[in-house]
Amino acid sequence: MVLPLPLLRTIEESGFSTWLRESESPFAFYFVLLFHTFGLALLVGANAVIDLRLLGIEREIPLAPLKRLFGIMWLGFAINAASGVLLLIAYPTKELTNPVFYTKLALVGFAVWVMTTLKSRVFDDPTLNEAAMIARGRTLAKWSLVLWIGVITAGRLLAYTYTYLTFPS
Amino acid sequence: MNLAHLHLVLNHFPIIGTIIGLGLLVVSFAGKNDDLKRAGLIVLAAVALLALPTFFSGIGAQGAVRRDPAVSAALIERHEGAAMLALFFMEIAGALALVGLWKLYRGSTGRRWSPTSIAILFFSVATAGLMARVGTTGGDIRHPEIRLAVTGAQESGLSALVHVLEPSPARFTDLMLISKWWWAFMMDLHFIGLALLIGTVGILNLRMLGFAKQLPVAPLHRLTPWAMGGFGINALTGVLAFIGMPNYYTFDVAFWLKMLALLLLGLNVAAFYLTDAFQSVEHLGPGEDAPLLAKFFAATSLVLWFAVIALGRYIQSFTDTISVQ
Repeated sequence: MVLPLPLLRTIEESGFSTWLRESESPFAFYFVLLFHTFGLALLVGANAVIDLRLLGIEREIPLAPLKRLFGIMWLGFAINAASGVLLLIAYPTKELTNPVFYTKLALVGFAVWVMTTLKSRVFDDPTLNEAAMIARGRTLAKWSLVLWIGVITAGRLLAYTYTYLTFPS
Repeated sequence: MNLAHLHLVLNHFPIIGTIIGLGLLVVSFAGKNDDLKRAGLIVLAAVALLALPTFFSGIGAQGAVRRDPAVSAALIERHEGAAMLALFFMEIAGALALVGLWKLYRGSTGRRWSPTSIAILFFSVATAGLMARVGTTGGDIRHPEIRLAVTGAQESGLSALVHVLEPSPARFTDLMLISKWWWAFMMDLHFIGLALLIGTVGILNLRMLGFAKQLPVAPLHRLTPWAMGGFGINALTGVLAFIGMPNYYTFDVAFWLKMLALLLLGLNVAAFYLTDAFQSVEHLGPGEDAPLLAKFFAATSLVLWFAVIALGRYIQSFTDTISVQ
């Protein structure tokens, strides 16, 4: 793949990117990063509860009301999409030259697809009883857990595997 | 106040607390008293939590005391190795105490000599012994009047035997930094543990605050062992990360505020279970509202957990914000 290298440089040299990256203010880079972690907690935490329940823990938790958790997942997703774009503006070269970044995006794509499928196939059909919900949701729940753990792992690896931190001069 | 003060304030709690917790447990076994047993387990769990900042503050105390030529580096190292060994036993005892408390709550009080009880007794006895050595070796650093040998490097009898098991702090640190992949793996686990913990604690707290009221509280509360599991993963990976880069965390104000938030969370949990807040929500059915006190504890829990996340993220940005003296 050919990267639009001049674009990376332009973004990185912009005032906003430089401020995010280099400002001493506690409301710059680390502020964005903490929201990215808040979003992770909401998105993956809520997914984990539904997945584990579908996989058989605490069967006395009624499944249907857990539908409300999808609101929390989307809130977490929105926070992370927004904070993710800001992190990308701060370090475009670092992220876009690292294959792990694209792996993470692909994993997020799959995980969100599993999440929406879980909602539409299992939680949006009021005719299903719990046994039917579990029968439909079990495999999706397994994939959901695996994919979100994969997303977290890829995200963590981004901090340790980059080739260029900023655009090479 | 500096970190040496903090170390001197905190360092009595793990030593004396372990003895108190163990004493309560032994008496509860002799008298078959579940209330005493519960008290002993709570003390052990609380002391295991307090032992973390006690251990962490030791590096700061070392920074403050090291410049005194009368202080022997070998004695400090021996104390640190003893503290590491005792800390691991203490944390296992604390984790087992939480398991024991959970089992007591779930009503399995029938057998006095359950494997959990035996394991708790073993680890708290071992911890009490190891803590005695931590205290003695720590005292040796500053109190020549109790020091047996001038260098303190010689060991005899039982302490020689224990000394063999004590890790060398410098080698342990090197081991944690042996590869960036090991470090990345630990951090990965730390974030997965975070998601597990916040997911399971969060849904219980939100339900108490009125979110998704169709959910009954009791089965949500039974997710607690998953939250403990998440916390256990993070306590372990957190301690290992600290051992890997002690100076990075020690002189960092965000790290200490994170520890403060964790201690406040410990108080929050204790207050939730020991006041009538827990009983008032324990059997809430679908659609029922939690009383104000329970909502207060749920809200403080959520705020503090998100503060822990935020402060953890600020650690990198606040390194070297605490001076040695």
